[in-house]
Amino acid sequence: MEKAKILVIDDDPDFVDAITPILQSAQYGVISAANPAQGKEKILAEKPDLILLDIMMDSLFDGFSLCNDIKTAKEFKDVKDTPVIFISAVKEMTGARFQFQGEEQGLIGPDDYIDKPVKPEDLIARVEKLLKK
Amino acid sequence: MTALDKKNTILVIDDEESLRDSCSQIIVKEGYRAETAGDGLAGFAKIQELQPDLVLIDLKMPGQSGFEVLDRIKEFDPNIISIVITGYATVESAVEAMKKGAYDFLPKPFSPDQLRIIIKRGLERRRLILETDSLRREKKLMEENFITMVSHQLRSPLGTIAQYFEVILGGMAGEVGPKQKEMLSKARDRLEKLMELINDWLDLARMNRGQIVDRFKPLSLKKILENIVEFMLPSAQAENLSIELVPYSGDDSAEGDDETLTQVFSNLISNAIKYNKPGGRIKVFLEEKETSIAVNVEDTGIGILEEHLPLIFDQFFRVKSVDGKKSKGTGLGLSIAKKIVEAHNGTIQVTSEVGKGSTFTVFLPKMR
Repeated sequence: MEKAKILVIDDDPDFVDAITPILQSAQYGVISAANPAQGKEKILAEKPDLILLDIMMDSLFDGFSLCNDIKTAKEFKDVKDTPVIFISAVKEMTGARFQFQGEEQGLIGPDDYIDKPVKPEDLIARVEKLLKK
Repeated sequence: MTALDKKNTILVIDDEESLRDSCSQIIVKEGYRAETAGDGLAGFAKIQELQPDLVLIDLKMPGQSGFEVLDRIKEFDPNIISIVITGYATVESAVEAMKKGAYDFLPKPFSPDQLRIIIKRGLERRRLILETDSLRREKKLMEENFITMVSHQLRSPLGTIAQYFEVILGGMAGEVGPKQKEMLSKARDRLEKLMELINDWLDLARMNRGQIVDRFKPLSLKKILENIVEFMLPSAQAENLSIELVPYSGDDSAEGDDETLTQVFSNLISNAIKYNKPGGRIKVFLEEKETSIAVNVEDTGIGILEEHLPLIFDQFFRVKSVDGKKSKGTGLGLSIAKKIVEAHNGTIQVTSEVGKGSTFTVFLPKMR
């Protein structure tokens, strides 16, 4: 029995392939989308319990604005409380925690961040924490 | 369609109607498009409108002289080929016309063949100029895109490879024997090093002073340091080290780029963790100097040999630890830090005593 359904939005199918067994090992069901547009469709159609969103997809902005849409747009009002975790390879760029800088533009940020490559225990711990809320 | 493929346009500017007509005939016969203008003013208006490839221009015309038109063409688009035709050919006027950017000079009267040859040569020149131009533009664009490209094309596949290692090592793709586990761990570690190196190297390539300066805004150094210390706390504790940000109530304002300065201080503090002794401590403190604010990161680590001090900001230089432990990192961190600090009109210094520890100090100019 699946504990919850998780949507992974990432443009690299191999990354999705690699991360899926981690989530499955903790009894989560995994669905995926290869781009923000497909992601939107799946969010509405499948109503996942949590979203893992790669913010390096095409541009940083894509991830940010999709996240903001989920939290604020009318079309997502039924799913606006779905937790979103950003997966980023950006951490190394700043040498410190990746900071969400969209707030200055009035964008709403994610519930958590996790860095690529994802450590299995870390991912599961963060997912569990957000799903408990 | 680019300017290179389309039918070449040639404009004839001359006050003599017969000459305009005869030139046009020759031009059209050669398969080009011919346009004409009777004086300098009308000629320049057509240049702006049509952006011809080549202009045949009479020097001596009523109203605006050929020289003036040459000046204006050069200003408007230096890649347009101008060829001067004149009945008053003197060496002086030829030299003058060349100085003003004319490509060639054809004294009147000239034969149709002479005109054909000179036009052909001029257009060939134009083609070369345009090709070089577009190559140059392409190269510039490539350079600009290079960093983004490299970062995506190199980093994302490596990230995915690393992800597969994590899953296999985590036992989530089936059982892994001890020997396999050991080898996979080594492969993963090497991969992580490689990713670090790519990141640092990209940082170094990206650290262009202008870009950093563009992002300057007033900042609180205390706030930046608080964030970093909070973030680094777990890794310090994991090494059994204490880390302290000394309370400070002086001026901590600086003009700078939040992101890159965070990178500098993070680098200094993470070095202080990496090169410390078990049970050691790290002290981060601010000091107000006469014209600058000093950020100090003090550790109780292995220290740096005096002869190494001048080298530590060099690319790829790494302090070898006394106990022969393999040094960590890529050897680029401090040279990146130095570049960033210098872009902020600041300086970075180090004092050290072997076996006792080191203090790195970043001086940033005060805002006022």
